[in-house]
Amino acid sequence: ALELAEELAEGLWDAGLPGDLPELEPECRSLLAAFAEGSAALTGCLGRRARPVRLCQGCHGHYRRLLAQYGSIVRAVGNSSESHNCAKSILTSDRLQIVVTLSEFFNETWEAANCANCLKNNSEGLSNSTEEFLDLFNKSLTCFEHNLQGQAIDLSPNNYTEVCKNCNETYTKLNDLYNHLQRMNRHGGESAHSAHLCIDVEDAMNITRKLWSRTFNCSLPCSDTVPVIAVSSFILFLPIVFYLSSFLHSKQKKRILILPKRIQSNASLVNIQEKYS
Amino acid sequence: QLTPSSFLRIGQLSNVDLNEDIHELETELPRQRPNEIPHNEKLLSLKYESLDYDNSENQLFLEEERRINHAAFRTVEIKRWVICAMIGILTGLVACFIDIVVENLAGLKYRVVKDNIDKFTAKGGLSFSLLLWATLNASVVMVGSVIVAFIEPVAAGSGIPQIKCYLNGVKIPHVVRLKTLVIKVCGVILSVVGGLAVGKEGPMIHSGSVIAAGISQGRSTSLKRDFKIFEYFRRDTEKRDFVSAGAAAGVSAAFGAPVGGVLFSLEEGASFWNQFLTWRIFFASMISTFTLNSVLSVYHGNVWDLSSPGLINFGRFDNEKMGYTIQEIPIFIFMGVVGGILGALFNALNYWLTMFRIRYIHRPCLQVVEAMLVAAVTATVGFVMIYCSRDCQPIQGSSVAYPLQLFCADGEYNSMATAFFNTPEKSVVNLFHDPPGSYNPMTLGMFTLMYFFLACWTYGLTVSAGVFIPSLLIGAAWGRLFGISLSYLTKGPIWADPGKYALMGAAAQLGGIVRMTLSLTVIMMEATGNVTYGFPIMLVLMTAKIVGDYFVEGLYDMHIQLQSVPFLHWEAPVTSHSLTAREVMSTPVTCLRRIERVGTVVDILSDTSSNHNGFPVVESNPDTTQVAGLRGLILRSQLIVLLKHKVFVERANLNLVQRRLKLKDFRDAYPRFPPIQSIHVSQDERDCMIDLSEFMNPSPYTVPQEASLPRVFKLFRALGLRHLVVVDNRNEVVGMVTRKDLARYRLGKEGLEELSLAQT
Repeated sequence: ALELAEELAEGLWDAGLPGDLPELEPECRSLLAAFAEGSAALTGCLGRRARPVRLCQGCHGHYRRLLAQYGSIVRAVGNSSESHNCAKSILTSDRLQIVVTLSEFFNETWEAANCANCLKNNSEGLSNSTEEFLDLFNKSLTCFEHNLQGQAIDLSPNNYTEVCKNCNETYTKLNDLYNHLQRMNRHGGESAHSAHLCIDVEDAMNITRKLWSRTFNCSLPCSDTVPVIAVSSFILFLPIVFYLSSFLHSKQKKRILILPKRIQSNASLVNIQEKYS
Repeated sequence: QLTPSSFLRIGQLSNVDLNEDIHELETELPRQRPNEIPHNEKLLSLKYESLDYDNSENQLFLEEERRINHAAFRTVEIKRWVICAMIGILTGLVACFIDIVVENLAGLKYRVVKDNIDKFTAKGGLSFSLLLWATLNASVVMVGSVIVAFIEPVAAGSGIPQIKCYLNGVKIPHVVRLKTLVIKVCGVILSVVGGLAVGKEGPMIHSGSVIAAGISQGRSTSLKRDFKIFEYFRRDTEKRDFVSAGAAAGVSAAFGAPVGGVLFSLEEGASFWNQFLTWRIFFASMISTFTLNSVLSVYHGNVWDLSSPGLINFGRFDNEKMGYTIQEIPIFIFMGVVGGILGALFNALNYWLTMFRIRYIHRPCLQVVEAMLVAAVTATVGFVMIYCSRDCQPIQGSSVAYPLQLFCADGEYNSMATAFFNTPEKSVVNLFHDPPGSYNPMTLGMFTLMYFFLACWTYGLTVSAGVFIPSLLIGAAWGRLFGISLSYLTKGPIWADPGKYALMGAAAQLGGIVRMTLSLTVIMMEATGNVTYGFPIMLVLMTAKIVGDYFVEGLYDMHIQLQSVPFLHWEAPVTSHSLTAREVMSTPVTCLRRIERVGTVVDILSDTSSNHNGFPVVESNPDTTQVAGLRGLILRSQLIVLLKHKVFVERANLNLVQRRLKLKDFRDAYPRFPPIQSIHVSQDERDCMIDLSEFMNPSPYTVPQEASLPRVFKLFRALGLRHLVVVDNRNEVVGMVTRKDLARYRLGKEGLEELSLAQT
């Protein structure tokens, strides 16, 4: 095809027509336009839902459509003659190959976000477990809000006891569900890449956890420093006792010297020392 | 008729002065030197004997060699290759077994402890978690230590010093037995699972050697099974070649470094190399790493992926940030200096500790208690460090195997726990590859400090465990710290990734401790899978060795010395030219006559005060006053076989139908010849005569009395001799040079030192 195009260009040049290759076939052009619109929509969607992350929930429709459009470009053989092959003329006839690059970018983003993990198998909607999780997540957020409103008058930074008490149940449920999902995923996943949950779920959990333990300071672990210090110093003390007692009570191992059978056996060392001192 | 008590002692020298010397010596024999001294490093133990690398070229041997035709030699050669393949496969399988068992048991342990800690973090009562962790560790280590201390003490430690000695030609009792292998493998698993600061890589070298020694003999004396194959290889020379292949296969399985394995055998053991042997050893290494690779790939579920070539895999160092520039070379060299100093400190501390252990902690039960204490303290130190650390990092995916939350916020883990709450191999890889910022400098500093002392304390315990991984871990920790502080100081982008500094630190620390050069460079290079790191790693290891050697010697050499092993280095001490064979040799020598009375032979062999192994054979001259010339050399083992089969002249004369002794009879007794006490010789038989001329080696190596020590040393070391007879100009036996006579000269701080012999 490249040869052909070159030939054509040369021919055109020779004919004195400085300029363009023939225009894209109309059907190819419509395919391209559809792809352009689809990708614009997806980009917009991704951008708008970047924070807090709602990519998979909000954009999976766009993504699916874009995949379909790209697929139709790839499959579009067009007319029988080679120059009219849409796939070739759109995807591979220049160095930049912008359509391929765009589609690759979207695919990679989707992979990195691991959205497939919270969509149904045919990726038509969110999976049941994800729905359940998001439900719980919303519940706990509303719980937080309710309890905060109640004490909005005195928002002293450390007075979140109400929240901690009232929302503990939902939070624990949410946390357990998340851990459960993670475990399921790790067991089901065949390679290291799919060990992540989808980004929406991860981000939601992160936000909640941060609120819970950083902002509200709810998870205060009991620290029992005194018994730990006592036990550890006891254990650390044992070797000292052991070494001291074995030093004092164990009989030191003695070696019995054997006199070598040798000519001038004690003179030789003296010789050496004289020579080298 | 001969007088019954006359076995010949030849010590009378033609030289008049010498006779006077002897006279003087005898008069002042009751010297003031104390007979009993505490153990020190300047001793040579009588326990260790030499291996017979030199074939005894007696008539039987020559006859057999003549009988073997060209085609038969070819089958022998093919058998060698088959054995090497089997060594590789079995070594790989053993490595897989260790790896899988350690992974599962350690995983189980860490899960139990983690669940416990998670439970008690919420409710309080973390001291119980600490107790649980310490008890688990101590009990696992106790089992590991008990089997080593009570069943097979030679399986203690990494086994590299022992294999070094074996390849050097020292016969370490029990070192290549099947029992040792079993204890070694179980011991390694238990000590790694027990959470000690140890690795499972070093012991692989020992395991590979035992496998090699076992297979090449085609039988197991421990199991009392003889498969009647490979009988040709039942002698020390052949066995040594296979053991060096086994050691190489072990290195290769441990680090995924087949070339490194070959070079390890070359550097540590071999004095006798030809290219065919090298090629065979390389073959065994490759097979070993391939076996490990394929079995582990099946185990991990990705069949035939072949991406885990060794027990430890440093991971890939190939992204762009991991590259290095010429400006970084001086920094790497500086890291080498640091590694050398820290390595020397490690060795010096370990020296004192080992000396203390040899002197005071020699009872097996004390050794077990010590190992348990170390295990408990290791757990405690880890726990306290984790407890005190406030360095929290967000969990990213599943990069951390056992994330401990402890006092961190939800969704974060304690980063000290990635270093302490993990098997050392995993921690090393984490230090190499975790993204910048995963560790806080304080965490790394404390970790390095603690782990340094723990590892130093652990090496030399009566458990089987290696020092490679702990050294790498210490080095990786301070290397990473170094990298972080560099990027902090310069704020430059080229210093971005602390991972490569962790690698260089690991190389420097390991080089500073074990002082290996060529093989270690190649092993590190192969383990990282990046040839461009070869140059900086080489520089780092060189510097570490130079700096370290300035203070103390390497850890393995130090332990060999502390064990009082008569180890021969490559060369004689440099200032030893003034010594001659006459001063070095032992004299007088117990000689046998060519036709000797059986009673005399039995008496000589039973004499416990002179436990000699080789006896020069001299012309049997009835006139005992006249000194006779040297005719040959016969070994104790041969004499015992002769006595056992009662090969006496009288019996032959009586025309008793007697099978002629073959070389096979000697081989069947190899390598555990029965002691002389187990051979019954009746009173009548004591008066029989025994003809040694057919069995002795008629062409032993000899040197004249005037030969200098370096010359004797070279001959001895290069040919792997066990006995070197010193003769005068009339070919009469004057003395005998053995390994201990040569090994006792050593270059110390004030010139040449002489070690003393001791019973240990």
